[in-house]
Amino acid sequence: MKVSIDRTRCVGAGQCVRVAPAVFDQDEKDGLVVLINARPGDLGASGVGKAALLCPAQAIRVEPDA
Amino acid sequence: MSATFPFLRACPFDPPPQYAVARAAAPLFAVTLWNGRRAWVVTRHAEVRAILMDDKRFSGRMAQPDFPTVTEARVTVDRNERAFVGMDNPEHDRYRRFFTREFSVRRMQALIPRMETLANELIDEMFAAGPPADLVASLAVRYPSLVMSELFGSPYEDHTFIIRCAVARHGLTQTPGEAETRARELAAYVRRLIAAKEASPGDDMVSRVIAEHVLPGHLSRDDFAEIGAMILRAGHDTTTNMIGMGALLLLRDAGLRAALAAQPEKVEAAVEEFLRYVSPVQFSPRRVALEDVEIGGMLVKKGEGLFMSLPAANRDERVFADADRVDIGRDNSEHLAFGYGIHQCLGQMLARYELQVMVRALLARLPGLRLAVPLEQVRFKDDMQIYGIHNLPVAW
Repeated sequence: MKVSIDRTRCVGAGQCVRVAPAVFDQDEKDGLVVLINARPGDLGASGVGKAALLCPAQAIRVEPDA
Repeated sequence: MSATFPFLRACPFDPPPQYAVARAAAPLFAVTLWNGRRAWVVTRHAEVRAILMDDKRFSGRMAQPDFPTVTEARVTVDRNERAFVGMDNPEHDRYRRFFTREFSVRRMQALIPRMETLANELIDEMFAAGPPADLVASLAVRYPSLVMSELFGSPYEDHTFIIRCAVARHGLTQTPGEAETRARELAAYVRRLIAAKEASPGDDMVSRVIAEHVLPGHLSRDDFAEIGAMILRAGHDTTTNMIGMGALLLLRDAGLRAALAAQPEKVEAAVEEFLRYVSPVQFSPRRVALEDVEIGGMLVKKGEGLFMSLPAANRDERVFADADRVDIGRDNSEHLAFGYGIHQCLGQMLARYELQVMVRALLARLPGLRLAVPLEQVRFKDDMQIYGIHNLPVAW
């Protein structure tokens, strides 16, 4: 599983940092999303699945490994 | 089904019963507004989410003739809205991003110790003066005002004025003149505050945004004043209503109170459930269809207005089983109390931490807290667009 983010869509709501703090952070400069772990492993345990679902700007993409 | 919107509640804790009836039949239903115009109320969770994500076919720009309102007073206010809450993209993101770092999770987390101090000081004062006490006046109004004034940089003694301006916008009974006058007064107030902070900067949001975005020429002082007015209104009114309602939900349910006192780690989940259950924002977000759109077999015509009913969507049984019950053990993460899409509440993490801190403090400090009057004497805000309570007489 590979996580990617689209900073051009991000509105800095912070949902991803709230539910998956080991995977996402917010840039101290602009408050927009920063990916700190693109391969967090388990979708549920890492909170990534939830983060992708809750992101109000749909800026998080999760792809299965090829 | 067509009826004049908005509707009255039958029970103070539940949204108007028409929502549940309409939601069972279709994702949205037609209503007639105060001016005789037709609009749609979207009641199902999936469709509310989908429409709020669909910026291509739905516009949230408030300053357009077809934008739907629940009052005549709101028409002028919407037409003159210049903050990003009333913008579509790309303008929305450009302005919002001047403020996103100010509300980041990390920044809000750093405020928690100060929130705890303020909550405990206010409880001390209430404790010293009572019982009985009005929890709304003693805590629910003052606490978010104190937090907001320190964060934003507005003197605390101005909070009564700020709340008056917020109420003029969020009320259902104001005249158009009154609502617009208060909107202008608040923007002018923030404009003066910007000038004062420019001359004498402090450790606050206004001073930081001046340094980062105003002085380099990215953001005009007038635009900042309009956005600042929006931030102040939101920061003073919505959290106050959630604290009042949250306290009432605790007071009416001894089992819940005992469970949370025994397991304070569940306070976070309880706050999310309170947000879902109360959904204080009643008649926003709103959209206008940019083209004919078919939703659930109904045709929304180009130019028609839509109200996304967050209270209705948050009681949708398709997502929340037994939705009319407060259940702090459920998965409520998909609740829409803060909206969805690009306009989702910028201050949501501030609100969450403020609520968590206050609920923890109330449980720890006032275990014997109880309602001092029959429930019938609690005045619910049926006269406001942000739901809550006007008073909460308590004893301990």
